[in-house]
Amino acid sequence: MKAASLLRTWEFMLAVVLVLELIVLGLINPSFLNVENLLFSTSDFAHVIIAAVGLTLIIMTGGIDISGVSVMGLASIVLGLAFIAGAPIGLAAAIALAVGIAAGAFNGAVIASTDVNPLIVTLATLFLYAGIATGLPTLLDMLGFVAYGAGGFEAYQYEGITGLPKSFTWIGSGRIGWVPMPLVVVLVFAAVATFLMLRTRFGRYLKLIGVSPAVAHFTGVPIRRTLVAVYAINGFTAAVAGLVLTAYLGSARSDLGSEALLSIITAVVLGGSSIYGGEGSVLGTLLAGFVIGFMRQGLLALGITSDVVPVIIGGLLVGSVALRIGLAKLNTRLANRAAFAAERMAVGGNGASLSNGDPH
Amino acid sequence: MTAGPAPSATPLVSLRDIWKVFESVTVLRGIDLDIYPGTVLALLGGNGSGKSTIVKIISGAYRPTAGRIEIRGVPANLSQPSDAHARGIYMVPQEPHIFPNLSVLENLTVGLKGDPAANARRAREVAKEIGLDADFASTGGDLSIASQQLVEIVRGLLRNAQVLILDEPTSSLTRREVANLAAQMRRLKARGIGLLFISHRLNEVLELTDYTQVLRDGRIVLSAPSAELTTDMLVEAMLPADFAAPAEEAARGDRAAGKGPVLSVRHLSSRVFQDVTFDVHPGEVVGISGVVGSGRTELAEAIYGIDPHVTGEVHVAGRPVPRRTPQISQAIGLSYVPEDRHAHGIFLALPSAQTVTAGLLSLGRARFMRIHEEAGLTQGFIDRLRIKLSSPMQMARTLSGGNQQKVVLAKTLAPGPRVIILDEPTRGIDARARQDVYRTIRELAADGVGVVVISSEVGEIAEVSDRVMVMKRGRLSALPAGVKGVEQISAAIFAANGGAPA
Amino acid sequence: MKRIVKSRELLVLALLVAMILAVSTVNAAVLRPITLINIVNSSLFLMLIAIGQMFVVLTRGIDVSVGAIAGLAAVIFGLALNAGFPLPLAMLAALVTGLACGSFNAAGIVVFGVPPIIMTLGALGAYRGLMRVLTGGSWIESIPQSIKSLAVTRYQSVPLMVWAIAVLVVVLAVLLSRIKSVRNFYAVGDNREGAYLLGINVRATEFTAYALAGLFSGAAAIVFTGQIGFVPMQTGSGQELKAIAAVVLGGVGLMGGTGSIWSAVIGALFLTAIDSMMIFLKVPGSWNNAVAGAVLLAVVVFDYLIRRTVRNRQLAMRAAEMHRAEEDHDRALQPREAAR
Repeated sequence: MKAASLLRTWEFMLAVVLVLELIVLGLINPSFLNVENLLFSTSDFAHVIIAAVGLTLIIMTGGIDISGVSVMGLASIVLGLAFIAGAPIGLAAAIALAVGIAAGAFNGAVIASTDVNPLIVTLATLFLYAGIATGLPTLLDMLGFVAYGAGGFEAYQYEGITGLPKSFTWIGSGRIGWVPMPLVVVLVFAAVATFLMLRTRFGRYLKLIGVSPAVAHFTGVPIRRTLVAVYAINGFTAAVAGLVLTAYLGSARSDLGSEALLSIITAVVLGGSSIYGGEGSVLGTLLAGFVIGFMRQGLLALGITSDVVPVIIGGLLVGSVALRIGLAKLNTRLANRAAFAAERMAVGGNGASLSNGDPH
Repeated sequence: MTAGPAPSATPLVSLRDIWKVFESVTVLRGIDLDIYPGTVLALLGGNGSGKSTIVKIISGAYRPTAGRIEIRGVPANLSQPSDAHARGIYMVPQEPHIFPNLSVLENLTVGLKGDPAANARRAREVAKEIGLDADFASTGGDLSIASQQLVEIVRGLLRNAQVLILDEPTSSLTRREVANLAAQMRRLKARGIGLLFISHRLNEVLELTDYTQVLRDGRIVLSAPSAELTTDMLVEAMLPADFAAPAEEAARGDRAAGKGPVLSVRHLSSRVFQDVTFDVHPGEVVGISGVVGSGRTELAEAIYGIDPHVTGEVHVAGRPVPRRTPQISQAIGLSYVPEDRHAHGIFLALPSAQTVTAGLLSLGRARFMRIHEEAGLTQGFIDRLRIKLSSPMQMARTLSGGNQQKVVLAKTLAPGPRVIILDEPTRGIDARARQDVYRTIRELAADGVGVVVISSEVGEIAEVSDRVMVMKRGRLSALPAGVKGVEQISAAIFAANGGAPA
Repeated sequence: MKRIVKSRELLVLALLVAMILAVSTVNAAVLRPITLINIVNSSLFLMLIAIGQMFVVLTRGIDVSVGAIAGLAAVIFGLALNAGFPLPLAMLAALVTGLACGSFNAAGIVVFGVPPIIMTLGALGAYRGLMRVLTGGSWIESIPQSIKSLAVTRYQSVPLMVWAIAVLVVVLAVLLSRIKSVRNFYAVGDNREGAYLLGINVRATEFTAYALAGLFSGAAAIVFTGQIGFVPMQTGSGQELKAIAAVVLGGVGLMGGTGSIWSAVIGALFLTAIDSMMIFLKVPGSWNNAVAGAVLLAVVVFDYLIRRTVRNRQLAMRAAEMHRAEEDHDRALQPREAAR
C-alpha cells in the first residue's frame, strides 16, 4: 500500500514536472503554448514513447533490450524494400511487423535459455539487426529480386526509400480531429500496455518474474514462455515505432531511430521503472516520454544547439536513478530504526543508543 | 573433560546486549556471548534463530543495530571484515568462499597484505600443517568441499587468527572428512585459538565443544559446559517455549487406512539422495526429520519439480507424474512450501495479495485478472490463517516473519492441493504463528489432504506427525509405526552410526 | 572442455590462423605480409579499448561508454594540437580526458550505486554530446601532420605505431603479472562477496577498473587520430560492442575471473581480421555490423555452454564422492551389525 502510494507520487511528480516545464517554456516563448503546435510537436518524438512502452514491459521483468532501435530501422527498410519489390503497402507493413516480432522473439529465446546478461545479448543483436538492415538491399540484389527503377535495391542502401503511398504516410502526418496520428498510436499503445500490466495474467507474470525469478519459478510461473513473449512484444512495438517514424518522415531508411536509444531508456527509467525489475508503470513512461520530448523541443526553441540535448538527457537518466537509489536507502534505514525502537519499547528496554550501522 | 571457561581469563571476543534489525524484522534481541582462548564454544539453534547473524556480526560483515563488541576487553567497532581480520577474528563460512577460476595457492593468499612470495611460502607451510592435500596449481573449482573448508581455515591462520568461527562446517562433509576436521579443531585448540562452532548435529556439539549456548528466537536460552549436557537437554532447549508433548491421538492414524496413497514416491534418486521410496495417504501427516545437509530439502524440491536431474517415479492420486515441473505439480494438486521463505516463497516487494494469488495464475484458463476476487480470496485466507496485516495490499516486506510465512501458506493452499509438502514451516517465526501453522496442518489433514512436514526441529516433527521418517545422509528410513516421541526421533537422527534404528 | 577454457587465448589464436588459411584458398592475396601487417595495424585502436574494457569485464561489470570516451579524448587531443600544444602535452591531455571520463563513470557506479548499464549508457550520451558541443559538430581537420608520422613511418615495413603498441602490450603484460593487486580484479569478478570478506577493497578495485577503461580509451584516441589524421564525429562509435566482443572472444568470462591481456589482444586481432576477410571474400561492407553482432552472440552463447558443462561435471563429481564415502561406511558397518 505504501509503495503503491509512493508510485502514485512519482507519477504525480512527473505530471507536475511536465506542467511546470510547459509553463516555463511558454513564459520564455509564448508561441510554444499554442495547442496545435504543442500537439503536433509530439510527432517528433512519438516513436520514442512507443518504443519505451514496449521496453517498460521488459524492464518490468528485470531484463533489458537495447536492440529495439535497430529493429526500428530494420522494420522501416523491410517495409520500403517490400514496397519497391511490388508488395501492396498493407502486406509490406505486415511483413515489417512480423520481422520485428521475430527479432524480438529471438532475443527472448536466447535470454530465456542461457544465463547471459540481456544487455550483452541485445547489444549483439543491436548490431546484428542494424547490420541486416543495411545489408538487406545488397542481399536482395544478390538473390536476384527485381526492384522498380535503376540500380537495383542497392541504390536504396544509404538513401531513404520515398514515394510511399498516402494511405501509409497518413499514419505519420494525418490526424483524427485535433490529434495527430502518431500521438493516437502512442495513446493506444500506452492504454493497451497499461491494461496488459494491470488486468491480465501475463502482466502479473512479468511483475512476478521481475520481483524474484526464483520465487516465480517455485510458484509455477512459466518463465521461459513469458520472457520470449515479452521480448517479442517489444520487437513488435519497436517495429511499430519504426513504421510510424517512417510514415512521418515519408522515407524508409535502415538507420532510422538509431539516435533514439538514450531517450527511450531514459523515458522508461525516469518514468519510475527499476532497472532491477518488478517496479514501474506504463503511465510513468508515458509522462516521462513527454517530459523529455518537450524538453528537447523547448531547448531547441530556446536556441540551444541539439548537441547539448544528449548531455542533458544522459544527466537526467543518471540523476534520476541515483535519486531513487538514495531515497530507497533512506527509507530502509528509517524503517529499521522505527522497528528497533518499537521492539525495545515492547521489552521495556532502556533505550540504548543506536549505532549508525546500516544493513548490507 | 574440560569444564567451562576459566573465569579469570579475558575473553577473546565478548558480545554485550547485541541487537539486530533487518527490513523492520528484529533478528537478535540482546545477545551476550564470550569466546575464550583454547576453548570451543558451540552455538546451537534452529533454522532462523539468528545464529548466522551473530556470526556475521562477530566477523564484521554486519553491524549490530545496538550493543557492544569487545575484543580482548577493548571495545571494537567492526565495520567490515578486514577490521575483524586485523583483530584476529576469522570466519569459515558454511559455504566456503572459493574463487573457482583462481589457483589453489591464490585462493589461500587472496587478500593478504605483504610480499607475495613470502605469503605463498607461509601458505604452503600452513596448508601442510593443517593437512590440506591439494595441487596448488590447479584451480579453486577443482577442490572438494572438505578441502575448501581447509582452505578457509588456512586463510584464517595466515591472518594469525586467534578466533576461528566455523559455521556449520560439517553439513556437507563425509564421515571421514568430519573426523579429519575434528582432529584439526583439537590441534587449533591446543595452540590457544578460540573456536566458535555452529552446528545442527547435537552429537558433534557434545563431542567437540567445551561450552554450549543455545539460541532461540534471537535470545540465548541455555548456557552450560558441554560436558554437563545431554542431547535431550539440547533438544528441549531448542523446542519452542510453548511446546507441550502431543496428546495420544490413536484415532487419527486409522482414518488414513483403507484409502490409496495420494502421493507415492518410488526409487527417487538424485545427486544428494538415493533410492527414496514412501507413500502419503489422504488425511495423514508424515514427518521427515533430518539435519541440515541430509538431503531433505533436495528431496522435496525433486518431488515438486525444481531439480530436473532426478531418476525414479512420483505418483499423485494414483497417476504417474510424467514430467516434474512446478507448473505441472501445481496443476495435479501437489504444492510445496519452500524452506527459504525470502528466496523462494514470497514476493517481498509486492502487496501480500499478489503472493497469495500467484500460485493460482497458471492453473485456470483465465487470462485476465479479476482484481476484486483477488482481494476477496486473500481476505478469506487472512481470516482462516489469522494473518495480521492492515490490508491485503500491505507490502509483504513489511510483515513479520510469521505473517510472511502465513502468506506463503495461503499461496500454497489457494489452488486447493491434494498433497502438500511443508519444508521447515516454522523457521524463524514466533510462537503464536507457529501454533497457527500447526493448527492449519491439522485442519488440512482433517480435510483429507496428504501432508508432508520436513523439519530439523524434532519437537515440531513429534507434535504434528502421524508417522515419522528420518533422512540421514541422503537416505530415508521410516520409524516403526507409533514411534514418534521426541527422544526416539532424536535418537534416530543423532545416532552415531548409520541405518535405521531397530 | 576444461582445457579449452584454460587455453582459450591459444584456441582463438588457432582459429584465427585457420580462418586466414581458409580464406587464402579463395584469395591467396590474404597471405601477403602487407595484408597481415595491415590487419594488426588497423586492430590497434580496438585493441587498446579492449584492454581497458577487460578490467571492467574481469570484475563482472560493463562499460558501454568506452567508444564515446575515445571519441571525446580524440576531440580534446585534436583541439590541443590545433591550439599549438606540443605533442606530449596533447597526448597527456587525451589520457587525462580518458581517465577523467572513466573516473566519472566509476564514481556513479561505485559511490552512488547506479547500475553500470545506466551509468555508462547515460555517460555515452553525455560524452557524445560533449564532442559535438566542443567542436560545433564539425570534424577536426588541419591537425599537424607531424603526428601522422608515427603511423606512416615504417621500420622493417611495419609502422612505428605497431611497434610502439607491441612494446606497450608486452610491458603491460609483464607489469600485470608482477603487480599483486591486479589479481584483485580477478578475485572480485570470481567471487565478489568472498573478496569482500577476505579484506579486498572491492569498491576501490571496481573504481580502478572503470578508470582504467577510460584511460585506455584515451590512449586509443591518440592511436586513432595518429592513424587517420583528423577527428570525425563518429570516432569510436560502435567500438564498445567490439571491445566487449573482443575480450569475451579472447577468454574473459562474463562471469568474471578468467582471461588476460592476451584475451583482449587476440580478440581484437580476430575481430579486425574478420572485417578484412570479408573484403577478401568480396562481402559488401554493409554486412560488417551484422557479422560483428553475430560473432558476439555466438561467443557469449558458447561461453555459457562451456560454463554449464564444467559446472555440471563438478556437481556430478562431488555427488559421486559422497556416494562412495557412504558405501565405504556401509561396508565397514556390516560386520558389526551381523555380530549383533
